[in-house]
Amino acid sequence: MLLIGTVTVSWYLAVGAVLFVLGAVCMATKRNLLGVLMGVELVLNGANMNFIAFGSKVLRPEGSLGLDGQLIALFVIVLAAAEAAVALAIALNFYNNHNTVDVDRANELNG
Amino acid sequence: MDLIAVAWPYWHQFFFIIFATIAIGFGFGVLLSKNVVRMAFYLVLSLGSTAGLFFLAGAEFVGAMQLMIYVGGTLVLLIFGVMLTAQKDFINMDTHTQDWILATIVGGSLLMVLLFGAFGAEDWRTPQDINDAHVSATKEATPLGLALTGIRVDTLGESTDAVADGKSGYLMPFIIVSFHLLVVLIGAAYMARTKKLSHATDDKSSRAKLMLFKMEHEEEPLEEAKYVVTHKGKSALNPLDPNDED
Amino acid sequence: MESTTDFYNLIDALKADSANSLGLFMPEITLCVFIALFLAVRLVTTKLDLFWVALAGAVVGLVSSNPLQLCGGNVESEELFTGLLVHDGLTIAIRSILMLFLVLFLIFTKISGVPDKEDGADVYSLVFGSTLGMCLMASANHLLIVFLAIEMAGVPSYVLAGLIKGRKRGSESALKYAIYGAGAAGVMLYGISLLVGLSGTAHLPTMALELAQIIPQAGLGEQAVLCLAAVMISVGIAFKLSAVPFHFWAPDVFHGACAEVNAFLSVASKAAALALLLRLAVGLGSVPLSEIEAPQAIQQTVEAHQETVQTDLVPTHLVSLEDEAVSGSDEDIDVKSSEPVEAQANAETEAPATEAEVVEAVDPRLEIKQAHDEALSPVRNFIGLLIAFFAVITATFGNLAAYGQKNIKRLLAYSTIAHAGYMMMAVTPLMMMLGTDNNGAEQAASALIQYIVVYVFLNLGAFSIIAFLRNYVGSEEIEDYSGMVKSRPVLVICLALIFFSLVGLPPLSGFLGKFAIFASLADGYSTAGSSALLVLLIAGGLNTAISLFYYLGVIKTMVMGEPDESHHLGDRPVGRIEMAYVVVVSIPTVFLIVCWQWVAGFADEAVKHFIS
Repeated sequence: MLLIGTVTVSWYLAVGAVLFVLGAVCMATKRNLLGVLMGVELVLNGANMNFIAFGSKVLRPEGSLGLDGQLIALFVIVLAAAEAAVALAIALNFYNNHNTVDVDRANELNG
Repeated sequence: MDLIAVAWPYWHQFFFIIFATIAIGFGFGVLLSKNVVRMAFYLVLSLGSTAGLFFLAGAEFVGAMQLMIYVGGTLVLLIFGVMLTAQKDFINMDTHTQDWILATIVGGSLLMVLLFGAFGAEDWRTPQDINDAHVSATKEATPLGLALTGIRVDTLGESTDAVADGKSGYLMPFIIVSFHLLVVLIGAAYMARTKKLSHATDDKSSRAKLMLFKMEHEEEPLEEAKYVVTHKGKSALNPLDPNDED
Repeated sequence: MESTTDFYNLIDALKADSANSLGLFMPEITLCVFIALFLAVRLVTTKLDLFWVALAGAVVGLVSSNPLQLCGGNVESEELFTGLLVHDGLTIAIRSILMLFLVLFLIFTKISGVPDKEDGADVYSLVFGSTLGMCLMASANHLLIVFLAIEMAGVPSYVLAGLIKGRKRGSESALKYAIYGAGAAGVMLYGISLLVGLSGTAHLPTMALELAQIIPQAGLGEQAVLCLAAVMISVGIAFKLSAVPFHFWAPDVFHGACAEVNAFLSVASKAAALALLLRLAVGLGSVPLSEIEAPQAIQQTVEAHQETVQTDLVPTHLVSLEDEAVSGSDEDIDVKSSEPVEAQANAETEAPATEAEVVEAVDPRLEIKQAHDEALSPVRNFIGLLIAFFAVITATFGNLAAYGQKNIKRLLAYSTIAHAGYMMMAVTPLMMMLGTDNNGAEQAASALIQYIVVYVFLNLGAFSIIAFLRNYVGSEEIEDYSGMVKSRPVLVICLALIFFSLVGLPPLSGFLGKFAIFASLADGYSTAGSSALLVLLIAGGLNTAISLFYYLGVIKTMVMGEPDESHHLGDRPVGRIEMAYVVVVSIPTVFLIVCWQWVAGFADEAVKHFIS
């Protein structure tokens, strides 16, 4: 524990960055549609982690974003929920028409 | 919090490492797992421990919301999706090897850049002295709620003009986002609902639809009569109809 | 006790601010009310045709956005809702364009028959909801609103892409749009978080002020974070604009969705995204005068100011090496040469209050602003070059890829991409001239507005003709349009006119729009002297030449080709209403040159207080 010293904003940002990249890679590689949607959630969560870290008075009393960070994070959670609902409805619609959730099968429109 | 801090100065590091390890570890689990049901479970754990990190950073209210809306709502939605599409073929799906290689290279370099950014700014990596005043100032549910009604009570102590300082009340987005949610609800219901096309509502619309479906089946054109018959079914073109394979 | 009175003061301030803001927020409120109304009617009955209600809503929205305000009065820039939104000429102009488009679009959907009566309520709610997001995009003054607006405009349009259910292509296009859109929004949000974290505020003008202080003393890490944030935010906007390399969704979505939705996506969404691009670029590139606090005594400020100039200016040269392509020295010479003229001109309009200041003849805030703007010049250069890069590859790729397209909707998708490239070109001279030659910068912004006005009618016309032809012919393949001129002359002639206008042939409206943008590029090159502008100008010219051929190819097929008898095309003649609509939408293409003065005046007035 002594190794990492005091926890700073950067450490939270690092966690956020890892979650963001994991989500982005998840979106790019998953063949299951729902896996792609889970990647989106991870990406938004990574960004949210940044907002919380920047807004934290515990980590950085001076020059922090303050309440704005937390408020933006709240709105992002709401918007992510809305986006997930629509994306899921679209995914189910795709499943009904194509009978698959394999994104590689979404290849009719090419050229 | 103060008591713990006095008794054990490394509690923040300790919990940070635990939550961060769980969040990142199960994040990797989501990425590496082939099974979509497991992925959903790993995501629950990952997002849950992210909420723990929010608590640790002093954002208790947002942490609670993260648990309630994200883990409790959004993920349940996703799990419903998993259950609705759960067929044997789709539970386990391999990613192509070339995708993995490409994703590792691109993702790895992206991670390097982002981590460099995270530790780049001096202000972010320099620890600051934290005294009790700041820790107790983090009981923020009331200021958060008031800020959503447009009143920034956290500007009370400061002398400058609230607006000029860039501290905005969030009443307008709070209300406008409710309309967004309404529209999204309508949209999701529209997408998910099966449409009864049995009664053509008017000539022009049915003609437009006929043409749209005709274009889709140019290779094996549908007879107009058959088209209408097919539409008596539950959806426009019954997906389970064996004749309707491309 | 003290804090209690302060609290009541806050509430009073909120009341006054909201009352003032709501009056200027009428178009958005109208949209909200009608969304609720659609839902209420839908609950009671599904039989009623909501088209007339929707049309009434759009008309009320158009009236309440009050475009005539731009013709007469002087519209001041004003912050709404405690600084979340900004209301100025640009807001009014983009909102009016969106509402006018909405009116025309609704009539178009009624005539073409998509959506039918049953789906009307849902689809109109989605269209209104998306337009609401676009209105917010045009007036965003806060990075939360930027993200919120992009989501609000985007999410309903994902559903719209899959409007006709049961079609495999439709659901595929909705899926692709939703996934790529969510990814782009996520990347943009991450970029926003970095920018917000570095500057400690999400309010754009305050952010510019903070950046002006951060940048001169920024280390390598801070510069890297800023560049990263700018690139990530530009990913989100590039996606909205379908700029290369984030264009890949556009051809697929346009191909899969029906032509009605394409018209909405290609016009409204583009116009709003361009307005947002303007807001962000100018918002981050310069500090508005209103943001700078006027000092108490002039004597003090002059001294303090001299200090700031000295501390600010020296490191600026060091920082500007992050954009090697731009010669920093040229910039500085221009700054000095235009400084006295600029200060003089502004001082006259600012009208100093006291006798002493008249003698000084310079508003002290102006000098502080000048220093801040100087500090922000690396930001402007970076944004300008980033957009120039996007613009060149977008226009070139769009035009090249349009060759060999067999489907008319895919062809128009690539044409839309190319036009996004042309329109983005206007932002680079804007950024290069901002702070040194504000008149030139305003001209560049005005050119962009003029292009948007022209573009609304062109793409709406093109997609409406495609939709009407689809209803008769049942095809969107270009080869099936062969010899169409004989059976449906009016539609074909109008489509030909629109295509020639998209190329930019004089005297059609497209030429005027393109000319305005190229003129601002040339103007920018002669004042700022950046070689990037010359590259843009050459790329724009070459692209115009390239684009001629594929548009001509379609027209040639329609006019010269032999009708294919074996391809059973419908024989029904084109209805009168369709013809009338197409002609009405095509009229501006031909006759906009007659009242071009008016359009240019509208655009000039729109950007008048945009750059302050």
